[in-house]
Amino acid sequence: MRRETFSPLQAQLVAQAFARHGVDYMFLGKSGAILLGYPGTTQDVAVFPRNDIENGKRIVAALLDLGFIVDDELESDILRGKNFVQIKSGPFDVDLVFAPDGIESYDEAKARIDLSSGFPVANIADIIESKRAAGRPRDALELPQLRAFQKDYEQRN
Amino acid sequence: MQDESLEEFKEQCRRNLRRSVEDPMRCGFNYVYKPVLDDAHWRSFDSMEEYRRWCRENLPEYLGYGELSDLQRQVLNET
Repeated sequence: MRRETFSPLQAQLVAQAFARHGVDYMFLGKSGAILLGYPGTTQDVAVFPRNDIENGKRIVAALLDLGFIVDDELESDILRGKNFVQIKSGPFDVDLVFAPDGIESYDEAKARIDLSSGFPVANIADIIESKRAAGRPRDALELPQLRAFQKDYEQRN
Repeated sequence: MQDESLEEFKEQCRRNLRRSVEDPMRCGFNYVYKPVLDDAHWRSFDSMEEYRRWCRENLPEYLGYGELSDLQRQVLNET
């Protein structure tokens, strides 16, 4: 279905709602890179949440707060922490990536989290590694640019 | 990437890094309808491999979720 409305500030809306409900998470993927200053574009917000049932309940509450429709089956899959949950039933698209490719564990990624933008974002090295490990044509197109960005970003910080 | 376009891209990165976080957010998130992918309220997968398989089998190739070409595989291995 085609979307009628769209907010470019979707990452900010997610961050605000997730903070209100105490969700333990970090932005991942190209949406995370954009928050760090990567000059690319994306259509969805990808988040890497801690996979536990209490955090799942907080995610559901935050999604409802944002205006997403969460039916019983979707709620159950979020609470179970299915590895990948793609949600398009709200004002924008959200991907919940509970087990991203190329990242060993949530705790390890959290130890490297980047808070410099004011948002919780996975380390740029983790973002790149998860894209490399996913191994899709779209990632092969993006990776050289992400690597180039990483060099400038790490020099600056 | 060609040297010239890579240098141009790096300059774009440097400009972006000087901006506030709101600017890249306004320009970085957009919406274009994606056939099949956008035609469900939600979907979930037990593993990322299952998700990738679903993408390969169901999405139009031009969306970029399909099989890697040899050149794309080489790019992934070298970056």
